[in-house]
Amino acid sequence: MLAYTLRRLFSMIPLLILVSVVVFSLAHLMPGDPFSGEIDPNNTSTDYIEEMREKLGYNDPITVQYKRWVTNFVQGDLGKSTTYKKPVLDVIVERLPNTIFLALAALIITYILAFILGMYSGRKPYTVGDNLIATFNYTGIAIPQYIIAIVAIYFFAFQLGWLPSNGSVTPGLEEGTFAYWNDRMLHVILPAITLGLFSTASYTQFLRNDIIQNSEMDYVRSARARGTSESHIYNQHILRNSIIPLVTFFGFDLATLIGGAIITETIFTYPGIGMLFIDSVNTRDYPVVMSLTLLFSLLTLVGNLVSDLLYGVVDPRIRY
Amino acid sequence: MEPALNTPSSDRDEMERKFDSTWTIARKKFFKRKLAVISLLFLLFIITLSFLAPYITSEDISRIDMANINQEPSNEHWFGTDRNGRDVFTRTLYGGRVSLTIGLTSMLFVTFIGSIIGSIAGFFGGWIDDLFMRFTDFVLTLPFYVFVIVLNAIMIGFGKVTGMWSLIIVFSLLGWGSVARIVRSKILAEKENEYVLAATSIGSKPSKVIMKHLIPNVMTTIIVQATLLLATYIVAEAGLSFIGVGVPPEIPSWGNMLMEARQTDALQNKLWIWIPPAVCITLTILSINFFGEGLKDAFDPKRKK
Repeated sequence: MLAYTLRRLFSMIPLLILVSVVVFSLAHLMPGDPFSGEIDPNNTSTDYIEEMREKLGYNDPITVQYKRWVTNFVQGDLGKSTTYKKPVLDVIVERLPNTIFLALAALIITYILAFILGMYSGRKPYTVGDNLIATFNYTGIAIPQYIIAIVAIYFFAFQLGWLPSNGSVTPGLEEGTFAYWNDRMLHVILPAITLGLFSTASYTQFLRNDIIQNSEMDYVRSARARGTSESHIYNQHILRNSIIPLVTFFGFDLATLIGGAIITETIFTYPGIGMLFIDSVNTRDYPVVMSLTLLFSLLTLVGNLVSDLLYGVVDPRIRY
Repeated sequence: MEPALNTPSSDRDEMERKFDSTWTIARKKFFKRKLAVISLLFLLFIITLSFLAPYITSEDISRIDMANINQEPSNEHWFGTDRNGRDVFTRTLYGGRVSLTIGLTSMLFVTFIGSIIGSIAGFFGGWIDDLFMRFTDFVLTLPFYVFVIVLNAIMIGFGKVTGMWSLIIVFSLLGWGSVARIVRSKILAEKENEYVLAATSIGSKPSKVIMKHLIPNVMTTIIVQATLLLATYIVAEAGLSFIGVGVPPEIPSWGNMLMEARQTDALQNKLWIWIPPAVCITLTILSINFFGEGLKDAFDPKRKK
């Protein structure tokens, strides 16, 4: 396992280099000053721009610039945001906890729901309940996230008034109090459900099919022959086998959550890094856009790594 | 002597029927699936309606009519008007034209690029395969939405292409990975057949073997994959336009129309503005999915019915 982990870690290195080169090239294509954010975008005098470019080293050979950029990035210097007039790292760190909170809430909801629904469907396939769950899954997979979000806001926030529709917390609440956390919870429910719906639907369907497949195995028949109770067979024997593949999806969740967070956060005006990304694209705050692009790409790579490693843990045959 | 001439005509019919082509079998199986056929009809209906929009309504889509803003649905304006007094029905038709054009064109490009890369990698194998597939893996690891948004912003920033084409180019550049992977694996299996060896041994060029012999035999897989991609790109276009980073707002698309729902007042009180695009997107995506499922089953030789 150790050798496999190391090999898998080493195979990340060329990918990391490639990703950084791609993001660097994209940044080069961006107008303005995406690397440091020091050039004032409103000052269009050519002398000023030329002077700043020389000062910031944009006339150096491209390899020197790349090396400098990577060094700066590793040291946490991501340039300065042109909108917020402060270091990009600070802007991102400020918003990051919100996104992590949202992602965790989405993951918890996803796994709990998928677990319950999948177990039920797998145990009682082709019944009314299973068909209902299958319909729910199909809807969750086929209907785009943002349409579900709009309808959810319309019903739960406006018609019923149960949940807030935007922001991450009501302004004015004192941080750390019970009311504060309660309010944050209420704010995260709708975005988290929307964000997790697609995964919930696919995992439920996956778990259901896996349980049905497992229930036809010989070990289940022999357990039945020994007189083991049905609930024991399902909850102990089958579940242990069926839950394993589900664990490995965890890594892919990272990638899904990133794409989803961008759209979901923007719809619910939830101040996380996904909304920051869209806002920065719209305000042409290119230093932030670039840093987030690199961050999202790195997270996706880590996600793929995690699921590959989990595959290795779960299935000892995988050792390539 | 032709033995077939001696058989009675009914038997000959029987024999001919036995040799239905893949496509005939698939067509027969497909038309037995009600849901898939209804979906296909709906798709054709919505495509026709969208592309004939200029002949159906005479309303001007860009004209702002301040005298008639936010009107409820009526005889004159079937779906009402939006906050600029534009007819929502007309905009839904024109929006469909933009959304469907982006979806269909991206699908064609992506399938084309992916099939070429996948078939070259699969047919030649060796280092070409390694190189192509490592590159494909790399493109597939990039977070799709993030790179679409960044590339699209850069493309629009250059101002060389309009918003619609910018999105199509970006989708095509980033989307071909999954097709390439599937086509490659299919070609790998298919090229082991004797007919490929025969074609190569009589001196057919690789390009001809791929285009004439291999591609037609993996076509069914490509078509099924393409329908799924169509749904993906329609969803992506609308989603990106909805959050304001897709098609520029002056061009009506279903996503841009949906953007109106981001205003609390429109979302809460003016349902007629955002329900038409939302319903159109949902029904189109559902039909494409059902149609795709139907195709998949129809092309699957293991499924008898």
